[in-house]
Amino acid sequence: MVKENSNAVKKKRKANTTEADAETDIYKKACDFEENESQNRNSSEDAELFFQICQEIHDFLDQVRELKQSSGDTSQKLSCLTDIVVKICVIKKLNRLDKLAHVLGREALNTEKQKCDSIKLTYQNLVYELHHLVTETNKCLSFKSEDEDIELVSFEDFMKNAPEAVSKKFIDFDPNDSEQDHALRLARLEWELTQRKNLAEECKALEEKKKKVVEEITERKERLNDLLPLLTTVIKATKPLQEHLGMSSELTRKEHKLAPLLSDPLYVLYANIVAYKSVFETNINVSILGDKDDATQFNEAQEVSHSNNLNEEDSEPESDLPEVEEVVEVKKRRHRKSVQQVDPVEEKKKKLLEVHPLTVQLSLSITDGPSLVIIFSYYTKLKTITVKSQVDMPSNFTSDTAREILSGHNILSELLDNDTGMESPNPSTAYQLKKLGLGSFQTLVPDIGYAYGWAQSICGIDFLTPKRYCDKLSQQSVETILKITKKRLNTRTHLAKQMQQLEKNILSEIPEELQIPTTAISSLNKWSSTTYQDFCLAEYTQHLLDENLVSQSDLFYSAKISRDEATLNLYIVIRNTYPIPAPIVALCLDYKGKYTSTNCDEIRDLERTINIDWNYGIRSSSWLLSAQITHLCSYLDVYLETLDSNVFQPNAKFIRSVSGRNKKRPFKFRKIGTGLFTQY
Amino acid sequence: MVNNINKDFYNTILAQAFSPCGNYLVTGDIYGNLAIFNVSKVLTPDVNFSKEELTPKIKITVKADYQINSLVTTPNHLLVGGFGEIYAYTWKSIKGSSRSIHVAWSIEIPNGHEELNKAEVNALIYDEDNGNLIAGCGDNNIYILNIESRNVLKVLSGHSDYIHCLTKNGSDLLSSGEDGVVNIWDLRTNKAHNKIEPFKYKEIERPDLGKWIGAVHCNEDYILCGGGPRLSLFHYRFLAQSTIFPFEDKGIHVAQIHDDKVLAGGRCKLFYQASLNGNVISEIPISGPTAYSMVKQVDPYKIMCIAGSSPKIDISTNFIYKDQQLCLYF
Repeated sequence: MVKENSNAVKKKRKANTTEADAETDIYKKACDFEENESQNRNSSEDAELFFQICQEIHDFLDQVRELKQSSGDTSQKLSCLTDIVVKICVIKKLNRLDKLAHVLGREALNTEKQKCDSIKLTYQNLVYELHHLVTETNKCLSFKSEDEDIELVSFEDFMKNAPEAVSKKFIDFDPNDSEQDHALRLARLEWELTQRKNLAEECKALEEKKKKVVEEITERKERLNDLLPLLTTVIKATKPLQEHLGMSSELTRKEHKLAPLLSDPLYVLYANIVAYKSVFETNINVSILGDKDDATQFNEAQEVSHSNNLNEEDSEPESDLPEVEEVVEVKKRRHRKSVQQVDPVEEKKKKLLEVHPLTVQLSLSITDGPSLVIIFSYYTKLKTITVKSQVDMPSNFTSDTAREILSGHNILSELLDNDTGMESPNPSTAYQLKKLGLGSFQTLVPDIGYAYGWAQSICGIDFLTPKRYCDKLSQQSVETILKITKKRLNTRTHLAKQMQQLEKNILSEIPEELQIPTTAISSLNKWSSTTYQDFCLAEYTQHLLDENLVSQSDLFYSAKISRDEATLNLYIVIRNTYPIPAPIVALCLDYKGKYTSTNCDEIRDLERTINIDWNYGIRSSSWLLSAQITHLCSYLDVYLETLDSNVFQPNAKFIRSVSGRNKKRPFKFRKIGTGLFTQY
Repeated sequence: MVNNINKDFYNTILAQAFSPCGNYLVTGDIYGNLAIFNVSKVLTPDVNFSKEELTPKIKITVKADYQINSLVTTPNHLLVGGFGEIYAYTWKSIKGSSRSIHVAWSIEIPNGHEELNKAEVNALIYDEDNGNLIAGCGDNNIYILNIESRNVLKVLSGHSDYIHCLTKNGSDLLSSGEDGVVNIWDLRTNKAHNKIEPFKYKEIERPDLGKWIGAVHCNEDYILCGGGPRLSLFHYRFLAQSTIFPFEDKGIHVAQIHDDKVLAGGRCKLFYQASLNGNVISEIPISGPTAYSMVKQVDPYKIMCIAGSSPKIDISTNFIYKDQQLCLYF
């Protein structure tokens, strides 16, 4: 079979060669033919054929060898060799065919590969498109419009109020249908817009109306203002007539009309002060502040509630205790639901701090000085008088410390011993406050004013006796309290005058009878007010704090006295009751180190001489502080001159610079000649 | 409740003395007051011990506002060195229950009759051997007085400034003064036979504090002195400077040798006890900025009282730490 094949090939070849003669491009044809042939042939058969031919060649070569050895027939040998050549030709042909088949296969593979690539590309494009679409849909999903924030009329209202043409579509509204939902939203928005437009127009109209009304009001006010001078001229004109008829001035008459409406204690106060004024002084003024109608209303309300109370009074003692417990329970509950129940506490607080609408204003003044205005108000539930004060200063007090001294709330503090007004004089107040959980009385003071003990007594309130407002008590105390208050105002004015000068670094004049050194070289060069906190923080005030010599309600100042390189820092504590006791001074000398009364005997001795033995009583109020500072300046000179006479030229005269085992310095001034400093 | 400032808040105690029986402590302050404390009650507190026991039993005003510079005890009297005068109180009257106690007698220091120029009696010593009183005064002189006749027997003058401290050793008297000199007097000849000037020693001088010697004391071998200059020991015989004590003070006012130990204080937050070679044994914090006086006794109670520029008196029963505090006011 193979042979036949090979024969066939030969034949074809022969055919080919014959055709080649006929045709011009025979080579191409041969190529085409071979290409076709290689396509159509089975390669594995070819392979077999190849191996077979090889074997045959092998056999022929064996034959040739044998022939050579036997040195037989040469022709046979030659035919064998030709056969071999033929066979080799066939092998060559096979080889060519194989090569062609190979090339063809490769081409086919390439075309397949290209196809595959293009498919992959389209696939990738599709994936990309998918991605893009997904992001787009996400964007759409996350879309938010501002309309969502607009507060719309609720659906029910919309259905009710909107014109039927709009709302009809949504009667059988299905919330799951998103398209319908959207349509509904649009409709509601539109409806909202129209409504808002309407409202805005309405608002505009109302505003215009308001403007008109305001104009009208101002016009009327102006008219009323014009009326006032007219009325006053009328009053003026009637005055001679009134005097002629012996009628008292209109104003006091009005006030006296108000007086019966005052709360009981304030009425007692008012009556007594008016009486006092008519007998003694002309520079106190008393008046009633408040609205008459309010007062009558308030009094009526009080009476009603009072009569109610009377009815309940029988059952009160029994209900008292359980009530307290209830309050405690309520409180516990309140802790849990605190947010909801804040209001009742506020209301109760308001109720407890109920104040009578009428207040009494008392003003005291001293000639050429400030005037003090005291306003007394009565807290009906606390049954306590509270006081608010204010000082009108004449314009010549310009410095800050001076103004502070006069305007401070503490001008009335400690008029009597320890009467700071920070604690309620009514013993039951503490329980009342506790019952409502309002904290201490002190926290209320800024709102309601100071509850000084003297204020209660001049209003005739005595908490120990049953609640009758005692006229006698009031009478007794009005005089003394007014005197003390006046004295206080006086001493404060004196103090303020001194402060004003100290701030300008001038020392006030001191009466001649006092032996006081006048030739100081050291001088005050700073004076300012400070606070309790600052005072406590200073290192050299600890000993005063330890001894409990200072309280928070005192007035605190800091100052500096200096001479050349030496500086004496001082803190001054002034009690509300100045000049008794005298102001207390704490010292710190800054010269080659810091010296205070805790590490230096001389400074301690200096502090002693400045702080002690100022028993000049109330009359010293106009000069005490200045005298202390003057002494301090001179004694600082003495100390510095005895300490380092090379640096500080001696100016003060003293017999001995130091004496005694304690090396005492001459901190005592004697007016002998031009003045002499001695130890004793 | 805020206190009003108390005069005693700024008080300074310059002198202290025990009664002969040892039960009472007397202090003298700058306001001229004597305060008598019952030490026995403080040291052996019974059940009802109250804070009041820490304040004076009685107060006696010797001469108001003239400071009491020194105190000394004799068997029968308490002698008070004041301003230009020495006052005597009998112990009987002090211990008695009488409220008003009067001066038994007084001796005026002869110098300076002028009111402003009187001399403080800064140091007092009672000489048990012959019953004499030795007073170191502010007029730079030392007076030797006879208690019985109350006459001045001798005047030792040699200092150029006032006397701070006196101490006696056999027939020798040592005095220190503001002039920075420690004089050693022979009481038999009434002459100063030697002197030390500590401010001339480089190691102990402190020019910023001055040259004054605030305290002097001695035993057989050593002289202890200090003041402006640092506290230091000198050999008695050779007068050579030996130990310098490493105290952080700004001036010595108290110094004593006790059982081969040195007790010293002054302007310093601590009261020191040190060995003779300068090692600090104990430090007692004191109430005021300065200690001016220290008295101690062993019998009947072992007690040391330190006082100075404070109304408080620090008490130590073992000389090592503070046990109790007396105060001049309640």
